[in-house]
Amino acid sequence: MRDGIEAAKQGLPALALVTDAFWPQGDFVAKSFGMPNLPRLQLPHPIAGTGQARMQAVAEDLVDDMIKALSA
Amino acid sequence: MTDKLFAESEAAALEQLHAQGLTDGLPVVIPTDERVARMVLATGQAAELTLGDMGPAGGSATIEKIAVAAVMAGCLPDHMPVVIAAIEAIINPAFDLTEMQATTHCTAPLILVNGPARAACGGIASGFGALGPGFRANASIGRAVRLAMMNIGGARPGVSDMALLGHPGKFSYCLAEDEASSPFEPLHVSRGFNAEDSVVTVVGAEAPHSVMYSGDADAGDDHERLLNVLAIGLANLATNNAALTGGAAVVVLNPEHANILAGAGLTRADICAALYDRCVHTTEALAAVNPGFASRLKPGAVRHCFKDPSQILVLVAGGSGLYSMVMPSWCAGGHRNEAVSQAIVLDLFCEIPVRADTSGVVA
Repeated sequence: MRDGIEAAKQGLPALALVTDAFWPQGDFVAKSFGMPNLPRLQLPHPIAGTGQARMQAVAEDLVDDMIKALSA
Repeated sequence: MTDKLFAESEAAALEQLHAQGLTDGLPVVIPTDERVARMVLATGQAAELTLGDMGPAGGSATIEKIAVAAVMAGCLPDHMPVVIAAIEAIINPAFDLTEMQATTHCTAPLILVNGPARAACGGIASGFGALGPGFRANASIGRAVRLAMMNIGGARPGVSDMALLGHPGKFSYCLAEDEASSPFEPLHVSRGFNAEDSVVTVVGAEAPHSVMYSGDADAGDDHERLLNVLAIGLANLATNNAALTGGAAVVVLNPEHANILAGAGLTRADICAALYDRCVHTTEALAAVNPGFASRLKPGAVRHCFKDPSQILVLVAGGSGLYSMVMPSWCAGGHRNEAVSQAIVLDLFCEIPVRADTSGVVA
């Protein structure tokens, strides 16, 4: 979230990818840092360590939504 | 100005504070107007004076809000100089409070006190069991800082404090150095202060890990064995220090172990350097347990677990015997788990006489 907020503050298109276990923290950080509406997409948790095939599948599921969010 | 809550009785007020998530789960002293005002008065500073913002919520750490946390924690006015200095230390940008509060790692600010404040601020324990129960100053000062981190900084488990399990030092984690039993100069002197200064040093730290060593005065390499076992505990392959490297970490020598090292002619700086030299791992050893953290290392390379010897904080505390303690650390954040020292100001504070509080009714 912080990376997305910092990018957005510099005027760059930003989309935060947040796993479901960290979704409440994402909301908290977005609000605390003054960007409650920063675009974000929810990923299943965990992602790290789940293997290339799993991460590829998650990416393929989300890529259209990511492009859509960044094009809005 | 601090927002106010209202309740018909102290018991109702306590339940309200619990229900709103404003406690650490244990009963607190209700921060009535009168109690908070007396705590503010003891500081000799204006209630609205702010020391800075506390992340991740960005709340303003005013003297009044810190006094609220101190009252809730059970502090005496005498404890306030240490509480305020510890808050100043953790909001120093070098401490990375926002990131530290949010991490999944089990880290808490260990509050180390040196100098005259050890006695002047309520008698901060440094001997047998000093990190355990039974010492009001240690328990209350550390708890006040934690309640400030929660209620000013906004740390809430699973929402903004993402520690996967945490550790008991997140209730309170405060200790004085046993300067009288130490064969070394006090910790704060080694960090550039004068011996007569009072100083708090804060460092994000895991819970204490015990390191057992039975001294043998007949062995020529007694001190070497002790250094070896301390290094194993401080930066074993399971620690962040081994995998991430760089962060400050803590070694608490009991007086017996300190004397073994001092008896071999070692100064604190020598001990830090010796531990730095011993806290190393090869690429192959790291790769065997956490290959992701070894992928950029050259085969056969040796990596130090600390940026330099100054990142290892060595102090003397606890009873004499077999056990010293090490506290490995998180090693992340922009400043990589830096320790921060802050002078404790004693001469601003007013003596507030203890007064029986018999009303039992929220003011």
